Amino acid sequence: MSVSAEDREEWGRARMSPLVALIVAILLILILPPTLFLIATSLHVTRPDGSFGPFTLQYYRQLLTSPYLAASLRNTVVYAIGSAVVAITLGVTAALIVERTNAPGRRHAFLAAILSLGVPHVLYVVAWLLLLGRAGPVNALIERMGGAAQSLDVYSMWGMIVIEGIGFAPLTFLLMAAVLRSTDASFEEAAMMSGAGPLRTFRAITLRLGLPGILALLLLIFIRAFESFEVPALVGLAGNVSVLTTDIYQSSKNASLRSYGESGAYAICLLLIVVLLLIWHHRLAAHARRFQTITGKGYQPRIIDLGAARPAATFLLLLTFLLVTLLPVGMLVFASLQPFYEGLTVESFARFTLDNYATILAPGSFRDAVANTLLLGIGTATAVVPFTALCAWLAVRRRPGAWLIDQIATAPLVFPAIVMSVAFLQVFVSLPIPLYGTLTSVVIASTVRFLPYGMRYAYAGVLQIHEDLEDAAKTAGAPPRLVFVRVVLPLIAAALVSCWLFVFLQAVQNIALPLLLVGPGTEVVAVALFDLWQNGQVTELAAMGVLWVALMLAVSACFHFTAVRYQHGI
Amino acid sequence: MIQASSRKCPRTLLLIAVVVCHGAAWAQTPEDVLTYRGPDREQKLVEGAKKEGQVVIYAAMIQNQAMRPMADGFGRKYPFIKLTTWRADSEDIVQKAAAEVRANNVVADLIEGTGAGEQAVAANIAQPFYVPAVEGLAPAYRNPIGLWAPTRLSYYSIAYNTKQVAPEKAPRTYADLLDPQWRGKMAWRIGSSTGTPLFLTNLRLAWGEEKARAYFEELREQKIVNFGAGSARTLVDRVIAGEYAIALNIFAHHPLISKAKGAPVNSRLMDPVATTAATMSVVKGLHHPYAAMLLADYILSKEGQAILARAEYFPVDPDVPPLPALAEVVPKVAGLAENLVGPDQLIKYTDSSEDIYQKLFR
Repeated sequence: MSVSAEDREEWGRARMSPLVALIVAILLILILPPTLFLIATSLHVTRPDGSFGPFTLQYYRQLLTSPYLAASLRNTVVYAIGSAVVAITLGVTAALIVERTNAPGRRHAFLAAILSLGVPHVLYVVAWLLLLGRAGPVNALIERMGGAAQSLDVYSMWGMIVIEGIGFAPLTFLLMAAVLRSTDASFEEAAMMSGAGPLRTFRAITLRLGLPGILALLLLIFIRAFESFEVPALVGLAGNVSVLTTDIYQSSKNASLRSYGESGAYAICLLLIVVLLLIWHHRLAAHARRFQTITGKGYQPRIIDLGAARPAATFLLLLTFLLVTLLPVGMLVFASLQPFYEGLTVESFARFTLDNYATILAPGSFRDAVANTLLLGIGTATAVVPFTALCAWLAVRRRPGAWLIDQIATAPLVFPAIVMSVAFLQVFVSLPIPLYGTLTSVVIASTVRFLPYGMRYAYAGVLQIHEDLEDAAKTAGAPPRLVFVRVVLPLIAAALVSCWLFVFLQAVQNIALPLLLVGPGTEVVAVALFDLWQNGQVTELAAMGVLWVALMLAVSACFHFTAVRYQHGI
Repeated sequence: MIQASSRKCPRTLLLIAVVVCHGAAWAQTPEDVLTYRGPDREQKLVEGAKKEGQVVIYAAMIQNQAMRPMADGFGRKYPFIKLTTWRADSEDIVQKAAAEVRANNVVADLIEGTGAGEQAVAANIAQPFYVPAVEGLAPAYRNPIGLWAPTRLSYYSIAYNTKQVAPEKAPRTYADLLDPQWRGKMAWRIGSSTGTPLFLTNLRLAWGEEKARAYFEELREQKIVNFGAGSARTLVDRVIAGEYAIALNIFAHHPLISKAKGAPVNSRLMDPVATTAATMSVVKGLHHPYAAMLLADYILSKEGQAILARAEYFPVDPDVPPLPALAEVVPKVAGLAENLVGPDQLIKYTDSSEDIYQKLFR
């Protein structure tokens, strides 16, 4: 492993400020149990009672000698690159229009992104399959126009890339918008005034300045694609396109009791890759000054007047909105109003019914779980955001030993959610303090799960703040605590607000993690969703999805308005 | 509490303790309570349960339609017991309960689900218990030493899209599935022991290894789609949506429920009909043995079984009929052989059936 000379020096001297040491300690307490469990799982046979049996390397051997490995690896790389390209193209374009131009209606893009993030991922994939599937309206249209020969086969690599990529667009949009908002637009203006066209300006200035954000995104999307399961399973498997996750899923025996040996081994391999990627990312960030545009000099993001191109930009936004939000959510609404889903046929419009909503809203798990779920989301997001902001600041400012923080806090990115769930179950059930089965325990596990996202949001934000601002505060006598609270936090507020929402929306709909951790009385909506996913009809699931999206929208709107008021206040 | 500490005491001390704490009330070790067969069973259980005051079950039954009415019925009958339920998949239930037993922090008293009892036995967290109602059941539905008891049955069939497949053309036998016209148009569910492994195990048990193997070799040519995410119910929904003409080895009643709403789908049983039983077990080290036995009795009572029937399950009690709309997929009613892949067999054969799947169908 190559560690930069500077890092080695830091490490060699073993200097570590007390604050960094404290944070590293907290992180280790949080992350060590699942990590050790993951390593142990990958190296031991799991007995039927869940305890570890004899040491074995069989899972690594199976992983590396699988006859499907080469094909799956190739598919995974294509899938990861493809979905990253789709997501970044859509997200960055939308973010540029929203943050840098005066296209009419651009502010509504946030609402669209949130709306789309509110759809539980499984439902999101189902909605796209309803749309593009063999019996979907798109193929019906194609067949009417050109015959069955031209019909699309969504159960293919392109189908996986499109669905995963579009699903990731809201995240790229939110992150890039946050980065752009805190980038000084005067560089772009200068380029334009020097005669560079918009494209050249974009390439030479915007893209380069936004590099930290884009790299953070690439890292996230890449890893997510490598560990994503829903799209490969629902879309890929049906078309015999196998990626690494589905390869493992098919190989691992589902007899008697579950063993996570293979997925554990895979996660450990991914962990090593992430460590390498982070080291590279860290070196790149060493030249952070290149990206620092928030200086003391009248920083104010400026808007580029598009002139006659304004409607075109709005049209582009609308198109993105149509793809990312309207089509899938529309499909969900349609399916939720059907007694059963048989495609978008003429007869189906005569069959509208509200029965599914009546079923979901009847006294039962959904209603009971809403309060717990909101607490879970708020608790997780509120724990993750300030903590990772502090971590990112220390890491970016290269406080002695702080590079470790970034490494540790990013590790959970590759933990399979179900393995994490099992690991935390073992920890909480054995603790002498009564945490087992409480909502607090779910919040703790969920916080660990979403630390990496907080890190990437905050890292990209802090990277753009010039140290001069902090130095000025320090010179004026402010202690580091005050510098962080009064200077750093307000400057990265935009990134933090996006991050809070993202973590909230992800935490409330995470199914695998709370599954084993919740107990009687602490159920969350994800459990009700899982119930329906297992036993319900797709139409009931859709109704629940629609209610859920509505609720998320309401919560996000409250949050948004509060955030806006707060921002005006400072 | 008394029960938990009693094991450590010599018998005489125990007796004294029991008399002191309970007065004249009947009290035994949890083992005695769980296997008590006396005629005054219910009375004694009620007395003990009143002191316990609560019981916890982890069950895979659908929360709203099955577990909630079951809890309501139980609560009306025994208002002095607080019943707490937790719903998850069988595998998760056993995993959670096993973690509790190993950490000596047992919350669950009873666990229930398809495969739950057998997995609990494999994990060594099940404790023998006795429920009078099992005596009326055929031997295949019982565990010889009472480590599990069945609660409800499931029948498996194919589902077909009636717009794509006319009823008279739909396969009637396993041999019909080999017709080239179905190539690439059938799907089955992988990743669950009641998915592909059950389909294969059913035929291996009914036909013998040789005949079954020859059949699988031919079936392989049909390029069955491996449906990887979602439940059997989800797969039926995909058939309704027209994505697959036929789904193999799904729960036979799911298509009927959708058909009743007008969906273009139907199920067809094929001889032999794969049948499985969901089971319940008592968790080792449980804290509420009296209340747990009352609950186990209640689930297997006529009243409890009727609640399961109304929730669109198939009762294990032969005297309690399923919903009339679902009766047609009961093999007995349809005049077909019911091939019970018993809880123990399901475990025993799943691994080797998985291997067949890996070699031929992946």
